[in-house]
Amino acid sequence: MTIRALWIISHERGENVSVRFSRRFSTVEHRAKSLAGSSYVAVPEESTVLHLLLTELGLSDSGKPYVALRDDCLHRPRSPAVELHVDGPGKGILWPVLAISQGPLILACLPLVDVPSEPRPPLASLLSVSQGLTLLAGLQTFLLGSAGKPDGDGLASRLALLPSILLQVCPLGTPLDVPMLGAPAIPTVPTSVGTQKQPAWKTGTYRGRAVVNIALIETVRSMQYGNQSRQDLWDVYGTVTCKCEVEGVLPNVTVTLSLPQNGSPLQDILVHPCVTSLDSSILTASSVDSSDSSTFSGPYKFPFSPPLEPFRLCSYTSEVPVPPILGSYQLKEEENQLRLSVTLKLHESVKNSFEYCEAHLPFFNREQMGAVEVKVSTGQLDVSKEKNLLVWALGQKFPKSREVTMDGRISFAGPTSGPSDPLCTGLTAYIKLYFKVPDMTLSGCCVDQNSVQVYSSAKPRIVTSRELQSKEYFIWNSTGAAPVSSGQMML
Amino acid sequence: MAANWAEKISAFSRSPSRFLSGTTAEAFLAELLRELRDDRASYNIKVILLSPLCEHPSLLCSSESVGEETALELMSVFAQCPPKSVQFRCHLLVALTSVLVCTSCVSGHSRASQDFLELLFQLAQDTSDIHGDISLRSLRSTACSCLRELEACCPCLLSQRLELLSGLRQQETSGLHQAYAGLHALVLRNAVYQLTQETGAGAEHLKALLGGNTSVAWEADQDSGLMGIKVSAIMPSLISGSMGTVPTLQTGPDCKELRSVLSSLLEESYLLTALCQADLLHRLTEVVAMVPGIPPAILRTQLLRLLGTSEVCLFHTTLLMKCAFTDSLFSAEDEAFILKRLVVLSQHPLLSTPEKLFYMDCILHFPENRPISCGDGDETLPVLLTMRLASALVPTVFNDSATLLSRFNLLSLVNLEEGEEGEGEERSGLVYLYDHLISLLHIVENGGSREIVVTFFRAAFLFLFYFCHVELYCASLTEKLCKLYLHHTQLGPHLITLADKTHDRMKESKWAVGLLQALQNVITKAPLAKLTLQDLRWHLKVLARVAEEGEISQCSTLNFLSSIIMPSSSTLCVSGDWRLGNSVLTVCRWLLVHPSLDSLLIPLADVLQHLACRYGDTDIQDHARLYYTLLTTLSREKLAGVLAQGAIEGGTRVKKRSLSCLITEGEGLTSMLTIHQTEKAVLQLTEANSELQKEIKEVEFNSQGPDEVNATLEAYRAQFSDPSFASEITLKYLLSHVKDHDSCFDQLFSIRLHFRLSDNHYEDLHDISVHCLFRDRPSPTVQLNLKPRRPYPTTLHASAIFTTQDGQSWHTALPDIHVAFQQVFMPLPAPPTWGQCSRLRVFEGLWDKICSEDRDSITSLFCCQVKEAALNALVEKHFLPYLVSDLSNTDEFKVLFFLPPQSHMLLKIRSEEDAVHFNIATDDWELLPHLSSYLLTITSSQDEDRLSA
Repeated sequence: MTIRALWIISHERGENVSVRFSRRFSTVEHRAKSLAGSSYVAVPEESTVLHLLLTELGLSDSGKPYVALRDDCLHRPRSPAVELHVDGPGKGILWPVLAISQGPLILACLPLVDVPSEPRPPLASLLSVSQGLTLLAGLQTFLLGSAGKPDGDGLASRLALLPSILLQVCPLGTPLDVPMLGAPAIPTVPTSVGTQKQPAWKTGTYRGRAVVNIALIETVRSMQYGNQSRQDLWDVYGTVTCKCEVEGVLPNVTVTLSLPQNGSPLQDILVHPCVTSLDSSILTASSVDSSDSSTFSGPYKFPFSPPLEPFRLCSYTSEVPVPPILGSYQLKEEENQLRLSVTLKLHESVKNSFEYCEAHLPFFNREQMGAVEVKVSTGQLDVSKEKNLLVWALGQKFPKSREVTMDGRISFAGPTSGPSDPLCTGLTAYIKLYFKVPDMTLSGCCVDQNSVQVYSSAKPRIVTSRELQSKEYFIWNSTGAAPVSSGQMML
Repeated sequence: MAANWAEKISAFSRSPSRFLSGTTAEAFLAELLRELRDDRASYNIKVILLSPLCEHPSLLCSSESVGEETALELMSVFAQCPPKSVQFRCHLLVALTSVLVCTSCVSGHSRASQDFLELLFQLAQDTSDIHGDISLRSLRSTACSCLRELEACCPCLLSQRLELLSGLRQQETSGLHQAYAGLHALVLRNAVYQLTQETGAGAEHLKALLGGNTSVAWEADQDSGLMGIKVSAIMPSLISGSMGTVPTLQTGPDCKELRSVLSSLLEESYLLTALCQADLLHRLTEVVAMVPGIPPAILRTQLLRLLGTSEVCLFHTTLLMKCAFTDSLFSAEDEAFILKRLVVLSQHPLLSTPEKLFYMDCILHFPENRPISCGDGDETLPVLLTMRLASALVPTVFNDSATLLSRFNLLSLVNLEEGEEGEGEERSGLVYLYDHLISLLHIVENGGSREIVVTFFRAAFLFLFYFCHVELYCASLTEKLCKLYLHHTQLGPHLITLADKTHDRMKESKWAVGLLQALQNVITKAPLAKLTLQDLRWHLKVLARVAEEGEISQCSTLNFLSSIIMPSSSTLCVSGDWRLGNSVLTVCRWLLVHPSLDSLLIPLADVLQHLACRYGDTDIQDHARLYYTLLTTLSREKLAGVLAQGAIEGGTRVKKRSLSCLITEGEGLTSMLTIHQTEKAVLQLTEANSELQKEIKEVEFNSQGPDEVNATLEAYRAQFSDPSFASEITLKYLLSHVKDHDSCFDQLFSIRLHFRLSDNHYEDLHDISVHCLFRDRPSPTVQLNLKPRRPYPTTLHASAIFTTQDGQSWHTALPDIHVAFQQVFMPLPAPPTWGQCSRLRVFEGLWDKICSEDRDSITSLFCCQVKEAALNALVEKHFLPYLVSDLSNTDEFKVLFFLPPQSHMLLKIRSEEDAVHFNIATDDWELLPHLSSYLLTITSSQDEDRLSA
């Protein structure tokens, strides 16, 4: 349940690669040597690890189209645990090297294999693997911030903090915690008096007026084909984020999610580790098993003791009968022109009050747009600066009919060619919708203010909110071939 | 200075081997410890200084004794460190743990490790921070981590302290209880394991163990019968997937003490961070698995919470519990539920890709209650994973490549499984996979990135691997790949690899040959008018691979070759491109050994002749002529013999990558042209007699030289303005045969000796030539001129190339040459005209300078017990060439070793009442350890000399 070494690497698309931080845990290495016996492979020096890891991740020699070691079709890197083939004196295979990458950073670590290493044990039998993944993800969030956006100076200063951070969270290779993202902004007192034990994930105790903030965000994804032979797809998932400022070492809070009558049950519920107990009926419904006969549809009670920082209390998925916006998109090729016609229809169950709603129509593998003769029934149409994207801003409301249209033709005659995309060739094209609707959810799920129970002396202020947002909401041109995106259609 | 250290340490951690080649581990360690003791250095820097000791203790401390000394030093640094430098003290504890564990001091129960253990227990029990400084808590927490690591590296070290640890854990109310809980659980698990290894151990022993708190394990060992057997080896995890391997402790149902400890740990598990919780639960799972008296149901209270969690490591612990307890904790419904949960987690939109991939891996190694296969580590599908369930995991073009391939693999397995049973659904699954493969192919066709290309070929290999029996799809895939190749010839190497790998992996399948044949077909049928040079390059590579296949008719290839080299259709011959010409020849070479050569003879001869006469590159012409001659003069069998040798080795095809290997070994020609390697050492270099090495010049007592000390010293130092002055030492060796007699090496000629340095303390050495070496004649003397950068002892790797009487050339390695510290000594390089007085003045001048300066200079004292007579003998034997004072003046000997390029070691040797004192002064303190080991050697050997006399 320990790791032998840790590396943090930065790169720019496989170039300017450097190891920004590395740490070897010598006592764990000592154990590895003794556990593996003759099959022991020592951790090579930094530069070797770097080279091997990049090859394995397909990032080395970015200028060369084919490198046998990197591109062999037989070899399938079993991400997230890859193997490094160490040559030279300490020859052998170093496994399992966990590597996760985001943006310019690659974080890697080598968990200790604490079960017999011959034959190679399955990844699933090594607790250190999931622990390693948790540690790496925690370090990644710490280094890049929760938005995942790196900035050079910020990154450098956080890298400089790593030695003292690791002293706390992983002093000798056994990960104890993930790094905290800065000190909590709320006033706390660190001492604990009395017999109640302080949770290790809570650095102090809150003092002040009790406030509980609960935000429910539902995200809808969709793939619409407008085609008889192909079923449109959409799915919804929700997250409940809490920020609780409540006094006490281990205060009890209960949040209840409830559904409207006839609402379809919440599925695939995942909870934060601070949830103290769960009812088995809450976990039964699953999106992958439609034969499920359970009729439980709430209320969903989540008793927990909150940490100081904001956290994701739970998440769920839900099957809703219709997509919020149903679209149709038709393109016709006419000489050097495209004739297009778009209809978007807002479902009657959806509140007609958006924070924003935009439709993006990108055109790939063509020249830049020339003349754009397109009319829209509502909203405003813009051509992007690069002249390869139409942006249709629909504003805050659909018209009373709840239907909007776009018609017209575009010629492509720009001086330079636009962006290319190997997927969207010919008439394969899509509209991507971006929208956010405050104060509603598609599943109907809500957190009633009155249902939030806080067991503390003072009466807390409780704030709840909910919203619906889109993500990966695609409407494909029905006259072209659209890529398959789900296995539902094969059944 | 601070920046210097940061740079130095980072250079060390980047590459310890390169760093240490510039100094020695001992010197670096000494330097680190010196700086750590220095009060002037800031604690920020000191933290950095500890990192080499934390990360590479065994590199720096080569032996247990060095480790022990280092640990004692570090502990004294700890004792002197002000309490408020908490960070530094924590790092020190980590460094101490690393040094003691990695140099085996802990497992050897050394004094230092016992002291350290006591220190850690003191720190762990010191709760004075409760009302005081919060930052002190991290010291306690680090102490617990260190104890835990010691226990992990040396199991059962703390078994005797179980009760104490349990108490500490229970009393602690701050977040630190987590550190105690982790430690407690590990010690408990190791102690229970130890009991299982003892015959006759039972409930009573367990009870005693839980209540026992006597002293450190190894002290208790001696008189405690119970702890007779030591678990010294590092313990692997007990839950490893293979059932029935967990050792058990028979206690009967009565083990309420253990049960209460477990319950209390479980109850508090919620208060731990996810990572520590996972660790604790895993340890407790192991304990419960070892003690049948405790029902696994004790864990049930935590299960629902864990099954619903979003934390990957917590969910993982439930899988490990399932692996350990199967149906004694998990019902069939539970099993179905967990599997469903895994499928959900494998594609959950809120989880990260690495987590999802991990969960997918868990599906393929699902711990079933009643596994059908024996679980030999291979991927197997759980019985409950139906097509319907798996359909949530179909690959799509929107997946990243790792996810895509993982899903492709999983779905292929599901399809294979279902294909054996049903008809309906699995067909659609296969159709889906094939369609998916083709949509990837389209993306590649439309100019997908390198990553997509690689992913497509990997997916294609998986598809062929699982479904090569479904001919309809495989034939259609071949056709599509050929079309793809014609439009993107740069994919040639991918296609060749795909053919190679399917050929190797699926021996019974003919698909690879079919693909190659189809490729040959499209290449040779395509209109030549559109052929670009780039395409041609790849075509020839593919055709060369096609020509390796005996089953494929090569007529069309030959037609293609002749049409591309004929002047009417191409400018290829005129261009004289060597690489292209060589590619054509490679195809021809394979055709020369093709089984259907008879039918190819005339057109092939035409092609070769045309190349030989018309190709615009002489080298290609020559090779073509050679092939032509071989083809037209040799019989088929001989031709095959000449060309095929080396092409097939050990049953696998070995591709000749070298461009020059156009012909293979015929008449031992290569054996004359290549250099052979000797199996054993043939030659050796032995040190020539020391009298030969250093001539002692008699100097007159009263000759010229400056009179005053400072002037003398200045004149002496002025000599060094010439960088080559006294910069070399000359060592003489005898070159001789080794003892082993091999007559073919008796007479050697044109011997060239090459030396390689093992570090960079010295400048590179020149090669040395020796005309000849005969076994029965005297050995020639070889003179090595070493130019030190730093005058340290070193090892030289030597090798030689020579010719034997029969004209063959050989390469051989010589035994390493060890250059000892004293071999680097030179007498004071004073001008030859200077007399002894001047030399003495230099000595005095240097001595004073060293005592007053502080940069790298240092003075030291070495004492030993030697009688006066013995001392005189010692001086005469070892120091005479370096003696500055008069030998007759036995009150005090003054000895000066000069070490090139510019170091001095000055010795004043004087017999005192109790011992002989060697007062040492040097302008390079890093030389001290070497000098003291040298002095130790000569003074102790003096003892032996005396004893033997």
